[in-house]
Amino acid sequence: MSEKKDAWWGPIALLMLLIAFSMNLFVWQLSGGVEFSSIIDRMVTGFSLAFGITSFALLFVSLGAVHKHMRWQEQILGLFGCAYLGIKCYGWVGNGFDSISEDAVILLAGLTAMLAAVGLVFGLLLALVTGREHIPDLLLEMDSTDGDVAVELED
Amino acid sequence: MWSATDPRFGFWLPLALLCLATGFWLTDRKDSRKRLASVTLFASLALIVFFGANTRGGDTSETALLAVLLHMLGPVALMAIGSLIATFSGPTPVGPLPRGLRPLGFSMAIGGLIWIGLMLIEEPPDAIANGIGETIWGAWVEVFLSILILVATLAGAFCIMMGDERHKEAFTLTILTISAGLMFFEIMHNGSDGLEATGWYQIHWQQMVFLIGGLLGIILAFIAFIALVYMAERRAPDPDVVAPLTEEEKSVVDAVLRLNLELEEVEE
Repeated sequence: MSEKKDAWWGPIALLMLLIAFSMNLFVWQLSGGVEFSSIIDRMVTGFSLAFGITSFALLFVSLGAVHKHMRWQEQILGLFGCAYLGIKCYGWVGNGFDSISEDAVILLAGLTAMLAAVGLVFGLLLALVTGREHIPDLLLEMDSTDGDVAVELED
Repeated sequence: MWSATDPRFGFWLPLALLCLATGFWLTDRKDSRKRLASVTLFASLALIVFFGANTRGGDTSETALLAVLLHMLGPVALMAIGSLIATFSGPTPVGPLPRGLRPLGFSMAIGGLIWIGLMLIEEPPDAIANGIGETIWGAWVEVFLSILILVATLAGAFCIMMGDERHKEAFTLTILTISAGLMFFEIMHNGSDGLEATGWYQIHWQQMVFLIGGLLGIILAFIAFIALVYMAERRAPDPDVVAPLTEEEKSVVDAVLRLNLELEEVEE
């Protein structure tokens, strides 16, 4: 891809960032704002729990797929360590494990919503892109001569 | 003792079994665990269904999540089936459907979004009308709308910037962005039926930021997983050096090659 095409990603990323920022600013203005520390707290809590749960899920997938050629020690023990670390951090940041199941359920709900939204957009995009009608190309409609070609050169 | 209504047994254990089934499914096809994948999958689904059938929305957060997912199954299925119909009724060489179904497919996909919009102006069912059920439902709707706005904008901008006159694609995605944006504006400004605007603010600042952090955590967990596999592979010993062919083996290979080449010549 040319340098000119690569440069398009910059404005697209900036546009998305701008929209996300505007949405938060809009809610901030309507709600009258919240303490910034509580936002960071919730974000770190979500980060820790998601890290722990995803590591646990990957640990179970790895346990199911263990085979004799695999160097399982690093993978299994490492994932167990990551999962333990994530859950421990959640307990530390979120002041205990009282609401762990509620938070985990919110995480699963958010994931399914993200998948549904991304699926809708890319499903429609796929339908639109594959449905494009092109002007017929005369070269593609020509029959093959299997290499039997006679060329007449002009003097 | 654990009972079927215990979420640890009826919800979290089946989720762990689903992960285990994925691991079984990834094994070699000669491995006996490959056959266990479908059994484990059905067992976990049966446990979840049994748990969902024996509990009510207000019982636990896990049952409330199942109620929300069941509530959203209709519009999401409509969108998914609509997109598939629209794709396969176009000029596709793979399993084409009648061309007349294409507008129906697009209508179904957009219909799913309208269905979600209608859910916001009608009283939600009891299972998701109060408490944790309401929070889960609110978080689902807000994440769906926010991601729809962002991803549809990304895809629309990409269509315009790639050129080749992709105006129709960009226009459709713009409609999607504007529809989701209007719904987002409406719920934040006036609230929805059953949940006031203040409730939506609370969901935004409590659950939405939690999920943004969660998304980053999931990405980091996958990066950590890749790093662990990379470390394991790097520490793996080099494979044994294979000895070169002996003269006897060379002559056998030579004979096989000659035989095959002669056969090909005879066939020609």
